Amino acid sequence: MIKHAEKIWLTLIGLTLAGAWLAETGHAGWPLTLTVAALIGFKGMLIVDHYMEMRLANRRIRRALLIFISLVMLLVIIGYGWGDIFRQMTLLN
Amino acid sequence: MSHPDVPETIRPLADEPAHGRIPGNGGIWVGIFCIWVEFLMLFVVYFVAKAHNPEAFNSGPAKLVTLAGTSITLLLLTSGYCMVKAIEAIRRDNQKATLRWIIAAIILGLGYPIIKYFEIRWNVAHGVDGEAGIFYTVYYYLTLNHLVHVSWALLGLSWVGIRTSMGFYSSTNYRTLEAAALFWHTTDVIWLVIFPFFYILR
Repeated sequence: MIKHAEKIWLTLIGLTLAGAWLAETGHAGWPLTLTVAALIGFKGMLIVDHYMEMRLANRRIRRALLIFISLVMLLVIIGYGWGDIFRQMTLLN
Repeated sequence: MSHPDVPETIRPLADEPAHGRIPGNGGIWVGIFCIWVEFLMLFVVYFVAKAHNPEAFNSGPAKLVTLAGTSITLLLLTSGYCMVKAIEAIRRDNQKATLRWIIAAIILGLGYPIIKYFEIRWNVAHGVDGEAGIFYTVYYYLTLNHLVHVSWALLGLSWVGIRTSMGFYSSTNYRTLEAAALFWHTTDVIWLVIFPFFYILR
């Protein structure tokens, strides 16, 4: 029987290989952007909750970590769909 | 005191509650949140640069070696797994197994700078240096910055490895060991973000 830590490790490895396959296909667009955001979120949560054992730990620390990961996912989505917002906000003239 | 609803692998130390515990120590969390804020700012820089140079960021990943990025990810994830096993072992008071897992984590972690070295050599040989364009400037800045943090984390793992070999840690005293593992996992999560930014996203 595969133990808990091994299951998490195998899942992370599988998702990484899926990401690498995506990179090799050279796809672009919304499906890729949303998949990447989901991969970052899911893999990040697996490490935070299981590798770092935050699932049953201090709720404030866990919440702060999940906010960081959510912000990155948001950046990925906004960066693709509404990248012009970043451009407009950072024009020097 | 037993905690039937808490898995054996997440057994708390004697002086703390089963739920709501702070893994490691308070100091390491200050460091971890500083790193998150630092990299979040760098990620914003990435997206601002991308917004101003969409073509460079669309074509940039094609010139990078996906195998290198993937290998680094696999090494870091497996090294992180070794540190999970090291913590499990010290909770069973098995110091020899703890040390073996820490050494395995360090060896796998050292694969990162080695792969990075060959990746950069390959890049430079193919004209992908710091002056090859904005995408590659951001790529070098972010990935080398991450490598610096990984180097610190490896030093931390070496430190707790030495202390483990000297018998400093036990099932009732492993906060420093756990803190080093948490720092290592943090560099892992950050890399999981960097990897798709430069090797996958178009």
